[in-house]
Amino acid sequence: MEILRNISRRKLRSVLTVSGIVIGVLALTTMGAIAENFNALIDGGVKYFSSNVQVGPPDGQTASLLPISKIDEIKKVEGVAAAFPSYTFSAKPGAVSAVSFGFPDLIVAGDPEESNWSNLKTTFAQGHQIEPGSTGQVVLGSTIDKEFKKKIGDTIDLPVRPPDAKPDFVNHTFIVVGILNPTLTAPDTFAYLNTADGQMLLKDSLPSAIRDQIPVSAITESIDVYATPGTSIGELDKIADRINNQVTGVKATKPSVIVNSFKSGGAIFTAITTAAALLALVIGGLSVVNTMFMAVAERVREIGLKKAIGATTRHIMGEFLLEATVIGALGGLIGYGIGALITILVNANTPQGQSTLFLLTLRLTVFALGFAIALGAVAGILPAWRAARLDPVTALRNQ
Amino acid sequence: MAHLQLDELTKHYKQGKSVIRALDGVTLEIGDGEFVAVVGRSGSGKTTMLDMLGLLLRPTAGRLIMDGTDTGKLGDRDLAHLRGTKVGLVFQEYNLLPALNVLENVMLPLRYVNDGKDGRKRAEDLLERVDLSDRIRHKATELSGGQQQRVAIARSMVNRPSLILLDEPTGAVDTETAQQLVALLKSLNEQDRVTILVVTHDLDVAAEAKRQIRLKDGKVIADDVVTPIAVA
Repeated sequence: MEILRNISRRKLRSVLTVSGIVIGVLALTTMGAIAENFNALIDGGVKYFSSNVQVGPPDGQTASLLPISKIDEIKKVEGVAAAFPSYTFSAKPGAVSAVSFGFPDLIVAGDPEESNWSNLKTTFAQGHQIEPGSTGQVVLGSTIDKEFKKKIGDTIDLPVRPPDAKPDFVNHTFIVVGILNPTLTAPDTFAYLNTADGQMLLKDSLPSAIRDQIPVSAITESIDVYATPGTSIGELDKIADRINNQVTGVKATKPSVIVNSFKSGGAIFTAITTAAALLALVIGGLSVVNTMFMAVAERVREIGLKKAIGATTRHIMGEFLLEATVIGALGGLIGYGIGALITILVNANTPQGQSTLFLLTLRLTVFALGFAIALGAVAGILPAWRAARLDPVTALRNQ
Repeated sequence: MAHLQLDELTKHYKQGKSVIRALDGVTLEIGDGEFVAVVGRSGSGKTTMLDMLGLLLRPTAGRLIMDGTDTGKLGDRDLAHLRGTKVGLVFQEYNLLPALNVLENVMLPLRYVNDGKDGRKRAEDLLERVDLSDRIRHKATELSGGQQQRVAIARSMVNRPSLILLDEPTGAVDTETAQQLVALLKSLNEQDRVTILVVTHDLDVAAEAKRQIRLKDGKVIADDVVTPIAVA
């Protein structure tokens, strides 16, 4: 209580000092929440790509088309347990991509069985997985579902017809059979179709001149290759090497290359955002140092008195450290509160179909509050040390 | 047994090339329950002597023995503990903390020396004794000078010290208030058998003591038992 009264004795100065910490923690909370959101996206990619080997066309081939028969060849490679065709299309062709931290809306077609092999697990908020061998069924990710406001049994035309679509634009009607829970990463903006529907969209996407000459049921855009569950990423790299050596006309990318690319991108982004926020917070911390030095200078007689009535150096140091820590904690709580409010309001007002910008996590909360408190304590060390070392006789007679 | 034993107690300060002999080989004893006034002109060494008896200053030479303990052999933490348990200090400027109310000011020493659970009750009793029980929630700044000094005296008593040291306790109050404060000190001395040593310029206060020690240039030049006739 005495600490709060001491802080409130110099209201304007205390408000300015606490404000310094508030601004720093506010920056740390918002920038950190952006970084956390980005990291969640990255983590999804890391999880997905660390569980399979991506096989695409060989270097030099522009069109992403492969004979589906390559799947059988790949399955013969040592260590390969399963391989699935994969097709990807824009869900909103011609749409201008807004600045967003999420993935674009995509149509991903393949074998529904593949989800059992992936490390990136999805769960259903409503409905169920696409039935094997079926056509005309779609499973929507949480974000794309919210954008189009669909429920189980509704229909959706995919790809979405652009407002300025040409007369020959083709899309198809699908029944929504499942809606996924949010994953905070790629599946949220995906619409999942069966392989046959993917091949139908592939045909639609081909130039009209060759459209009828290519047997799309014998074509895939890429192949996702899986080893037995639990296989290490190092072993998957070796499988990629074996595919490249034994199967012609394809290019298998080592999962470690993709995963490291994701991780380095995430680390750089996190470092930049966190460093900017920490800089703001450290500047706030300097104001605590200044305030505490002034508090010591103003309370020299008080310090002398406390020593005269039995306080030890440790007592005095502890009291001033606690006061600085309380300033840090006050600033931290207020700054975090405002920052959390901003992230909640901005996320709530994110336009339909766009991924949210912020992700507040327990880790970020603990870090932001913990850093503010620690900063207050550290900022108080030097002033507290000076206070504790004051000679009581001199201090008592200080004017 | 003597409560305090000063044995050639000396405090010298260096000021440039010269040495200030603030206290110069003082030897005396102060027994349990005495009421001693230390008088002398400014610069005679009164305050230095009080600071040393209050264990705030270490001597340059000599010994200070308090209840059989040679204080020169104690470290800083032990000195702080001894100060908190055995000595009560009262200053001319009261030195009450503005952030605390009257009761909290009186209880302040308990924060550093924890000697039991009845500290709050003791503080309330002391405030009643100094006739301030109706002001315990007031801020120190809301009290008159005399009231603040009574709070300071109550604070000095809260840890039940055996020695109270007062530095010009009536220096900042009017004559009537000074008389009330002296009466309060006498009652503490007589009822609680607390040893009281008061440094003062005020001859009226000194006259109320049972013993007067006069200092000059850091030395004791007189050490007398006070009688009403001697004062007159």
